[in-house]
This record gives sequence, C-alpha cells and structure tokens, in this order.
Amino acid sequence: MKNEAQKSKSLWYHAWESLVSDKMAVTCLIIVLAYFLLAILSSLGLVASDYAKEIGPSYAPPSSEYLFGLDIFGRSVLAKTIKGTEVAMSVGLVTGIISMIIGVFLGAVAGYFGGKIDEVIVWFYTTFNSIPYIMLLVAITFILGKGILAVYLALGLTSWVGLCRLIRGEFIRHKDREYVQAAAAIGGGDFRKIFKHILPNVLHIVIINFSLQFQVAIKSEVILSYLGLGVQGRPSWGTMINDAKLELARGNWWQLAAATAAMMVVVLAFNILGDALRDALDPKLKGK
Amino acid sequence: MKFTCIGLCLIAIFVTFPSCTKKDNFKGLSLNLAVSSQVKGMDPIYANDRYSSNEVARVYEGLLEYHYLARPYKLVPNLAESMPTVSNDGLTYTFKIKKGVMFQKNEAFGSEPRELIAEDFVYSIKRLADPKLQGLGWWLLDGKLVGLNDWRKKYSELPKADYSEAVDGIRAIDRYTLQFKLAKPFPQFLYALAMPFTFAVAREVVEKYGKEFLNHPVGTGPFAIKDGVFKQTKKIKYVKNLGFRKKKYPCDGSEKFKKEGLLEDCGKLLPLVDRLTVNIIEEDQPRWLNFQKGKVDFIAIPKDNFDTVIPDAKNLAPDYAQKGIKLIRSPSIDVTYTAFNHDLKLFRNVKLRRAMSLAYDIDTANKLFSNNQALPAQSVVPPGISGHIEGYVNPYRATGRPEQIAKAKELLAQAGYPEGKGLEEITYDCPNATVSRLTGEYFKKQMAQIGIRVKVQQNPWPELQKKITTRNIMAYGIAWSADYPDAENFLQLLYGPNRSPGANGSGYNNPEFNTLFKKAAVMQDSLERTALYEKLNRIAAEEVPWVFGVHRQNFVLRHSWLKNFTNSDFDAGMAQYLSVNKAKKEEMLKKL
Amino acid sequence: MNIYSYIIRRLLYVIPVLLGVCLIIFILFNVLSPDPTLIMLGKHASKTQMMELRAELKLDRPWFIQYIDIVRSTFTFDFGRSWSTKQEISEMIKNGAIPSLTVTLPAFLVSFVLSISISLFVSFYRGKIIDRSIVFVCVALMSISSLAYILYGQMFFAFQLGWFEISGYESGFPDFIPYVLLPILIWVVLSVGPDVRFYRTIILDEVYQDYVRTARAKGLAESTIMFKHVLKNAMVSIITYVVIRIPFLILGSLLIESFFSIPGLGGIILNAINSSDFPVLKAMTVLSALAYIIFSVITDVLYTIVDPRVRLK
Repeated sequence: MKNEAQKSKSLWYHAWESLVSDKMAVTCLIIVLAYFLLAILSSLGLVASDYAKEIGPSYAPPSSEYLFGLDIFGRSVLAKTIKGTEVAMSVGLVTGIISMIIGVFLGAVAGYFGGKIDEVIVWFYTTFNSIPYIMLLVAITFILGKGILAVYLALGLTSWVGLCRLIRGEFIRHKDREYVQAAAAIGGGDFRKIFKHILPNVLHIVIINFSLQFQVAIKSEVILSYLGLGVQGRPSWGTMINDAKLELARGNWWQLAAATAAMMVVVLAFNILGDALRDALDPKLKGK
Repeated sequence: MKFTCIGLCLIAIFVTFPSCTKKDNFKGLSLNLAVSSQVKGMDPIYANDRYSSNEVARVYEGLLEYHYLARPYKLVPNLAESMPTVSNDGLTYTFKIKKGVMFQKNEAFGSEPRELIAEDFVYSIKRLADPKLQGLGWWLLDGKLVGLNDWRKKYSELPKADYSEAVDGIRAIDRYTLQFKLAKPFPQFLYALAMPFTFAVAREVVEKYGKEFLNHPVGTGPFAIKDGVFKQTKKIKYVKNLGFRKKKYPCDGSEKFKKEGLLEDCGKLLPLVDRLTVNIIEEDQPRWLNFQKGKVDFIAIPKDNFDTVIPDAKNLAPDYAQKGIKLIRSPSIDVTYTAFNHDLKLFRNVKLRRAMSLAYDIDTANKLFSNNQALPAQSVVPPGISGHIEGYVNPYRATGRPEQIAKAKELLAQAGYPEGKGLEEITYDCPNATVSRLTGEYFKKQMAQIGIRVKVQQNPWPELQKKITTRNIMAYGIAWSADYPDAENFLQLLYGPNRSPGANGSGYNNPEFNTLFKKAAVMQDSLERTALYEKLNRIAAEEVPWVFGVHRQNFVLRHSWLKNFTNSDFDAGMAQYLSVNKAKKEEMLKKL
Repeated sequence: MNIYSYIIRRLLYVIPVLLGVCLIIFILFNVLSPDPTLIMLGKHASKTQMMELRAELKLDRPWFIQYIDIVRSTFTFDFGRSWSTKQEISEMIKNGAIPSLTVTLPAFLVSFVLSISISLFVSFYRGKIIDRSIVFVCVALMSISSLAYILYGQMFFAFQLGWFEISGYESGFPDFIPYVLLPILIWVVLSVGPDVRFYRTIILDEVYQDYVRTARAKGLAESTIMFKHVLKNAMVSIITYVVIRIPFLILGSLLIESFFSIPGLGGIILNAINSSDFPVLKAMTVLSALAYIIFSVITDVLYTIVDPRVRLK
C-alpha cells in the first residue's frame, strides 16, 4: 500500500516536472489562473463593479479614453468583458464539477461492481448519448426555466458521458489489481476501496477531462445565449456576442471583438493546457 | 506545401462555381420581398400572425379590404359589390357579392371554372368556428353571430361538424347575397371581414386535400402559388393569377399620396407584377445586407442600422440617397408598455405604480430603442384613431427631469416603501429578443434610481404567454399592435372581464372603466363614442395600470425601382399594388 | 463467440436503448415540460378553447399511452403534425433533410480530406516548429465562437467582397451551389481544428509503434511508411470517429442555417425551440437518436470485422 502511494506521488511529481518544462503550458496555466483571479476579483466587486454605469455616449468607438469602446447604453465594453469572465469561469467550473461528480460516481460504480449494475449504467449512458446534445440542452432549459443555475445544470447534466465511460474502463482494469485485493484483505469496504484506493489512481483522467470540459462549457454558453436560454441580467460573453449580431452591420465591431478575443484566449489556453496535462499525466491516453 | 495547395484549389473551385449556374432570363416584372419570420401555412383560419396572414392574403380575398391609399384607414368593398346595408337596429348586415369572380384553377373543381358564391363565405366562416379545426381566429367571432356559438358547442362533442346545418347568423339568401345577423351590437364587425381569418375558401378544395389543405392554397386573389403547392422553405414563389378579375388600381386617395405620385398607375389592372418572391430571412444582418445588394425591394430598417442610414434622424445618409434608396416613414398603430400584474396586492397600490412610471424616463428610452423617432405614449390609444387625445400629457409620464424623480421618491414613500425599503425585488419578464432584453435592463436601471430592485428575465415567447395567462408574473414588457383601427381594440386590454387568458394580461380591473367600456364597445362610430373613448383613455393614463412605453414609427427603405410603395399597418394584399421599373433596376443595381 | 452471434446480440441491444431514448423524451417533454396549449392559441386564448384543444391534442390521456405513442412513432415514423405550423412532421423532415445535407455532406467530406492531409503533413514534421504552429493555429481556430465566424464571414466575404451569396437557397442541383458555399466554408473552418488535433494524435500513436520502427530500420522511405503503414492502421480509429458523426450531419447547424436562410432541419429545430413545438422537437430527437444507434451498430460491427479482438471484451 505504501508502495502504491509512493508510486502515485512520484507520478504527480513527474507530471509536474514535465508540465513546467513546457513553456507553452506554463504560459497557458498562468493565463488560466489570471482569468480565475479576474473572475474572483470581479465577483468580489473589486474590478469592473461599475460595468452597469453609463460612462459616455452610446456606441462610442474604442479610443484612449474608452479602451474597448462603449455599448448601446454607453457602458464600458472592457468592464463588461471582465464581468463576463465571472460568468464564463463559473459556468466552466460548476459544469465541470457537476459532470465530474456524475461521471465519476456512475463510472466507478459500474466498473467496480460490474454485473447487473454495470449493465444498467451502460444502458443508461448509451441511451443518453444517443440523444443529440442540443436537444437535451433545450429540453432541460425548458423545464428548469432561465438563469445561470439552469445553464449550469443543463451543461453539466449533458456532458458526463465521456468521463463516465473512461472511468468505468479504468475501474474495470484496476479492481482486480493486487493493491485493491490487499485492501480487501485488511477489511476495507466497497466504498473505501472505490474512493480511497482506486480513485486516486484514476484521478489524472478526471483532471484532464475536467480541463477539456471547461472550455466546451464556455463555448456552449454562447449558443445558449443565442437561443435566448442563457444567463440573465448580467453581462456574459454569450450575450455580448449575441448583441453584436445587431451591431456588426452598422460597423460596431468592438463588442464582438472583445468578447470573442476574451473567450478565444481562455479557451485556447485550456485546450493547450489540457493537451499538456494529458501528455504529462498519462502519455498512453493520447489517442483515446 | 502541397497540402495548402489542395486547400487553395478547393476554395478556388468553390468561388468560381457561382458563375456556372444559369442566368435568369425572365422578361416580366418580378417583385422580391423579405419577411423576418417563418410562414406557417396558407390556411386562412390559422393565419394569426402578420407573416402568415400576409401570405394568405396574396392568394385569398375577403369581402372587404382597407383602401390602399386612404389615411386614416378606410374599409372598401373587395369581393363585396358594395358596402353592406345595415338594418336599423345595427344587427343585420346584408352584402351583395361580385358576380363572375372565379377561383384559381384546381383539380378539385374538375375542368370547369368555379365561380365564387355567397355560400362560400358561409362555409368559410363556419370553418373558422369549427371546433374540430381549432381555428386561431375564433376569438374574432366568438359570441358575435346568432347561433354560431351553439353550432360550435354542439359539434365539439360530436365527432364531426355538420356544415349543412343552417346557422341563423350567417346565411346565403341567394347565389350572390349574404346576410349576417349579430347576436349583439358589435360595431367592429366589418373590420373582421377584412381580416384573412374570414377570407373565402372553396369547399371542394378543402375536402379534396383534407389536412393538407394548408399547403394547397386556392383562392380568388391576385397571385397564385407557383406549382400550386406551398412548401415550408425559405423562399415562397408566386405567379400572377391569370384569371384574376378585372380589379383596378385605385384612382382616389389621400392628398399626401397624390403628391407623392402614387396615383400614376390609376386604372391599371392588378396585380402589376408577374412574379412575386417572398424571402424568409430571420436574422437581421443577412436581411439588411440583402437589401443593400438589391436582392429585396424594400425593408424595414433594423433598429441598429438606423444611425448609419439616417444620421440626423430625418434624412437618409448621402451614400444611400445616391443609390436611389428612399425612406418612407409612417406611424404604426401600436403601443408598447410594461404591465403590472394587478392580482398582486403590491401593484394595486396606485401610488407605487405612479412612482414607477415617474421614475421611467421615456425620452431616453425613445433615444436608445427607437432612435428618438417614436411617440412617447401618454396612454393606451395610439394616434391615428379616434380616442387618442392630441396634446394630452399624462401627469405621471416622466422625461427624466430631477423633479420627476423627486416626485417619484415622494410617491414611493407615500406608497409605504420609502427609498424602496420593504419592497420585494420585482421580476421583469420579457421575450427573448435581444432588444427586449436591453429594454428590460433599461427598466431595471431606471427603477434603481428610486431604490426599487428589478430582476430581468428572458423567456421564449410561448413561455412568456404562459406566465401571463397563468398570472404567474410580476411585471412584463410587451407591445400590442392593432388588429383593426379602432380604440376598442386597445381599451379592451384593460377591461376587467377580459382578464387573461383573455387579452387583459395585467388583470387590471376598475369598475368605472369597465362600465364605460362596456357602453362604448357597442356604440357605432359617433362623437359621443369618441368622447367616451377619450374619457377611458384618460382614466387609463392617470391610473397607470401599466408604465406606458411608446407608439412606434415604421421606417422603411425602398429601392428606386419599386413603385407605389407605401407603409401600412394593414398590409395584407399590398403586393398587388406594387410595381417594379425594370430599366431603372438594371441601371441602379450597378451602383449598389 | 462467432461474428454472427455477436452481430445479432449487438442488434438486439438496440431495443432497450431505443426504449430508453423514448423514456427520456417522454419524461422531458410529456411529464416535466410546461402546458403547450397556450402556445398554440396565441394572444387571444380563452379557457374553454384551451380545454377543447387539450382534448383535441390527446394530452388528457394517461401517461402510459402517451409513452406508447412515442415508441410507436419510432417505428412508423408517423409523428403527427407540428403544433405551431400544423404541417405533417414527417413531411417537414423529408423536405428539410436535403438542404441540410447539401451543406453538411460536402462540408464533412472537405473537412475530412483537409484534416487528414494536414495531420499527415504535420506528422511528418512532428515536434518541429511547423507542427507546433499548425496545431496552435488549429486550436486557435476552434477557440473562436461559431457565431463570430458566421457574422464576420457573411459581412466580409459575402457582402463586402461579394464572393458568395449573402443568404438564401434554391432547391435542385446545381441551383443550390452558390448558396451553400460560404456555409460549407464556415463549417470546414469550424471542424478542421478539432479534427486535425484528433487525427494527429491517432497518427502519432501509430508512428511510435514498434512496427514503424522496424520498417524504418529496413530502410523504407518515410512517405511509404506514412501512407502504407501508418495511415492504414490509423484508419480503423479514424473511421470509427467519422462514421459515428454521420447521423448528426442530417440535423444541420442551427446557427448556420438560420443566418444563411437554408431551409434545413437546423432551422426547423430552431423554430421549434422558439415556439415550444414539442412534437417537432420530439420527432427530431427520436430520429437522430435512431440514426445514431444504427450508425453505432454499424461502427461496432465494422470494428469487429477489422479487429476481432474487440469481440472478446
């Protein structure tokens, strides 16, 4: 057992080493952390708290005074973009957590217990996976109504299948390993075996999946906003891009550009970070 | 490198492809329109939105229509020979219908031409009442014609409605004489006969196609659908109805139109174009870009393009004017408003309502959302119809002056919520459109000035309707466009017994208002009725059942080659009057 | 286990999955979702009319029967009529599928060929700066919202440069071609990023296999190795990835179809969403789920034929 723990520790250590040696990955990590910081600062009201304030004429173009230009109400596009970070990061985070909880739990239970339980869970996710993502998303928002909570749930509830599958596969591989049997011999219950022993050994999959899930959620928020099912009552990149569909033809490109750029940077960073994490944590997972 | 080559080659192939497709060598005149919403089908009884009813009216016709060139709006006979004779008690309307009007050719009629007769109207109107069909225009006649409700009720329990059973309220006296008997006075009845819901369909066609009837429009109208079948696509093509009766372009009209030269085509046979294409373009950007390229002949200016097109809010920008584009503006008969749910004790507090109205700066709203071109609404009835009070200023209508805010705060305190203390957060529901959301955000901002907290909530349209109907709502932003140009159509929105699921979504219920409305609603047009309407309008203003918004203006741009265009709130059937100057079009297209 | 019994077992498994799909649809649309009668009656709805309509739509029948109806519709393809347009749904789908496919199918093929080419190309130069920068560009491309591509593409390429039609559609070949070019291009740009990334990892997985090393040791040319060995072996994974995406092509793209006025299924879905047209949404869900299930059976069977080890699992 001690041996296992050591092994996993060194895995993490190696992964960390290989990650920091990749300059690109480090840059991306810094970008992601910066976005998180911005999101936290804005939710505490320390930055961009005046996003709703009218600071100049309607649709003022970018200038030295108004860095990213102003929107229809003369509000700063920069402040709105920053405020939008809050929504984007929280959507990514909460969605990732929801899908992680469902995916890990169902995957672990299915893989560990096997038999009938496994069959039912496999049936469930196969069924679920057959329904187009967009339809589920729409149906769930119909039922839950509007607002950020609905966005979290809709995106979270529709994105766990991939992870569930991977975890199930890993659990099937791990459950008969010696260390698990050893844990059983000293009287560990199923619950203990699942969470204390096997889970730490498959955690890297969860982390990789989480980082990729994150950026998918951020992108999906735009589509939900377009359908009018998005976040209500505060700026998000989705609503900003959606507003821009009216503005572009009159030459107001800055709101679209700001939101697109803000989104692109963080999504790009997450993508590259996800790749780097995968390479570092589990080289053999590459092709899956 | 060779891979990038492949990419480039592919792109090159794509780009050169359009030139290979065939050119259109059509010699006649074609008209291209753009609409912004899907068209459901071509059955008159289901045409409950402006887009579908406009399409229906290209193929079908009714007894009456709005005079194309008369303002204020005036009803004139269409399939009717003349305006009806009305009995002294105002309950019996007798129409003579035109002789020799033919339906468009269809297999359902065999090889014989089929003439329109009075019985067709009897059938069409019963169809609107048929409980098995659930026609969406039933509200129009609900309770209005003698015996029709009984007929409907009887057959709602039976498997199939029997059209041969006579209904007293609507009878064909002879082949060309049609008589309506009203159950109670309903002076707006004639307007109903100009609405596509009551347009004439032929029984043979309905029976031949059954449920598919909505895709096989066969009417008496100026256009016929190309190939006879309506397909749900993004492009609806019509051709001139070659057997169209000799209907002529009007030779009289309002002075304004005379001056603009809209009477030049006087006496010409309608329709003036040979082909009509309706493009369904749901998004603003492509619709606007298509207009600029000359692919559509006229377009309502998308709100956000207003500044570029009309920079000084009056005249067209020079680069558009150079291209021969013309601006047509006209007031629209509508009102926008923020309604309160009067079921909630909160909003039965008139002082709170007044305070909120006073905090809402309509001038800025007008600037932001209507390019400063709308008319701030003082009350519910829009200008252009009797009942609107010219020059009246609602004492609770605010324009953002500090003393109004002060007054609002004072009223809020009197209402029991000093500085908004003790007042719950108000949820403002609005439809999904981006502009609606922005309007909501504006409302929120305005209310924040006096300490009222508002939460904006977007809904798909059906969802919003549901919230209103089930009264599960606090405040909501919405607009009402006239079904017909009569103040009754607006005042009914505040009539207590009409509470939702009727038209009165706010559930406002004021006994005084109700009594007066009940009286006015059954009166024929007269000075007395106008006085009553004005009184009602004034009550509505001072009671602030809603925070009034604006009466909007329509801004339409048309290309130089489009002739006879004028804006109308009742534009069903308009396409037959429009024409295109082909030479000019070819010349101007080069400039675009 | 022999291959036939595997196929039969795999086919039988379709039944519980299909029933499950129907169950989810039933729960989402029939049990949990809001009352639809209001939507249909519009601004002049009255209470009696709503009651009548409920009966007319058979919404007052027991849930069990409503569920059976959904199951039945998956076999008969009789989905009834749309609540909002009153059109026959199977007819709407038939009319909408072709326009959607005229965009998605060529786009799919082009992006497939393009991404395979690019990923082979970058695998030649794996680890070099050109590989890293192409991968970076691909990831950057997929990090931009599709709405931004559509808005800018339509504005600049179609309107300002006049290279493409702004929007619209004509049915019939070759009339539709000018209208679908820009949508195809946007689709390709959107899908090249993720595809290249995916194919590259698959190809690289193969590149590091022992047999490649042996081949190289034997002195075979790098290009021969790439095309004859690596691509051939990678094809199994690539084809599974590709085949399973085919059923979704028919749905088109909501955004692209609505901005380019293409009368496809994407637009129908969008209208159905906006008007809460449940029968249409249900039909689309059932149909695409069915297509997905069929194609996943095909992939599985293909896979076992190519690689018999899979069957043993």
